[in-house]
Amino acid sequence: MVISIRAPLAIGGRNLTWKPVLLFDLQSHHSITNQPQPNIMPDKEGRHIALGCEGSANKLGIGIIAHDPVTGASTVLSNIRDTYNSPPGTGFLPKDTAAHHRAYFVRVALRALREASITPEEIDCICFTRGPGMGAPLTSVAIAARTLSLLWGNKPLVGVNHCVGHIEMGRAITGAENPVVLYVSGGNSQVIAYAEQRYRIFGETLDIAVGNCLDRFARTLKISNDPAPGYNIEQLAKKGGRILLDMPYAVKGMDCSFSGILARADELAQQMFKSGRTSDGEEFGPEDLCFSLQETVFAMLVEITERAMAHVGSKQVLIVGGVGSNERLQEMMGAMARDRGGSVYATDERFCIDNGIMIAHAGLLAYKTGFRTPLEESTCTQRFRTDEVFVKWRE
Amino acid sequence: MAAATDGAEFPCSLTLDIPFPTARLASIALQALGVDKELSPLVRRTLSTVAPEGFQDESVLRTKYVATTNRMLRVAVNSFMDSLALVLEVQEQLDVDVLAAGNAKTAD
Repeated sequence: MVISIRAPLAIGGRNLTWKPVLLFDLQSHHSITNQPQPNIMPDKEGRHIALGCEGSANKLGIGIIAHDPVTGASTVLSNIRDTYNSPPGTGFLPKDTAAHHRAYFVRVALRALREASITPEEIDCICFTRGPGMGAPLTSVAIAARTLSLLWGNKPLVGVNHCVGHIEMGRAITGAENPVVLYVSGGNSQVIAYAEQRYRIFGETLDIAVGNCLDRFARTLKISNDPAPGYNIEQLAKKGGRILLDMPYAVKGMDCSFSGILARADELAQQMFKSGRTSDGEEFGPEDLCFSLQETVFAMLVEITERAMAHVGSKQVLIVGGVGSNERLQEMMGAMARDRGGSVYATDERFCIDNGIMIAHAGLLAYKTGFRTPLEESTCTQRFRTDEVFVKWRE
Repeated sequence: MAAATDGAEFPCSLTLDIPFPTARLASIALQALGVDKELSPLVRRTLSTVAPEGFQDESVLRTKYVATTNRMLRVAVNSFMDSLALVLEVQEQLDVDVLAAGNAKTAD
């Protein structure tokens, strides 16, 4: 088995409140830094602290967050991530990914504790991802989270829905209060809006996730999976733009389909390898393919998001999930939102791409409302829909 | 579980006795590993803690596996050993006293 590791991403420190993150205020056409947060460290005695463990796909993340009980302000104490990257042309398999998470859990946890400079006694609860995601990696991390809970004097466990983790972290970072959420990653593609204690799914993919479509196309082109296949497609696409190749556009009501587009993109890639010319005799390369694929799938996402905004009457869009770090998607969404007199909220890769801090944050929100996951029920589930979670912490 | 009476249906068996430094750690391993059920109906597992001969403390984790075929047995036991190794490493490096003593290996 080959495990290639890129330098673990480290964020945060003891005195760090929210570091500036990308926040697009598209009405003023300026990229501004984060809203001012009160720079007060929550009271050491009174603050709530959670440790979050995430491992539903190929990222292992452990983060520690503190909530001030008076001001409600959140502080990231540490947010460490380690990514399993499979070789070019291949995807990450559950067995290898689980082995990666087991191999790196202790060192990532030690780093998270050290950066946060806290002791286990100060932690209120241990949060872990219950699902959705890949079974074996989820279970590996859950076993380690249970062991921590038991070792540290039966700390309460809080099982967290991965999608809700993304949404809550996005809201906390950007300050978007009640946005339409576009959650796009390698495993999920959903348009979500909040109503009556649930995150309701307005539209979603009918087959594969948009990130899976991009990841698999990266495999067809045999481009690197490091730091992420989607990132490398984005860089190639920036060199394209000369021609837009024809690909199917598959929006069905509020839903999308991506598998047919992937099949067509793969066909075009074979044609490129063979002749390097379109049927009209025009030369094209990988950058044109990446550009055309991105433009097509992102246009679909923007369309269903716009429809959800019109339906809900919201002017805010929050983009979360790994694909949300794509600047072209943010730009296209921004153009749409601007036309509607609204704005787009997006975070950068530290919080967009799977991480432990979002699990800690969403888990702590639930913990404060009295939610606990008893040890004997702390299993994982590959299928766990966003709207199954009762959102007690919101009005 | 009725492992003993299932000899005909589940002919392949393996019992592992894993010694722990203390009964507390053995019990923690039992609880952390016992939550996830065996995924295959062709394999059954029982976990318990027992005291080593001549001792009072139940510091040994006893894992009994029975399976329909040796192949199923091997797959299940391998997976269990992977999980067990993770629990042991977490216990070794992230227990409260280890962290307090600062003996934990540095992360990089």
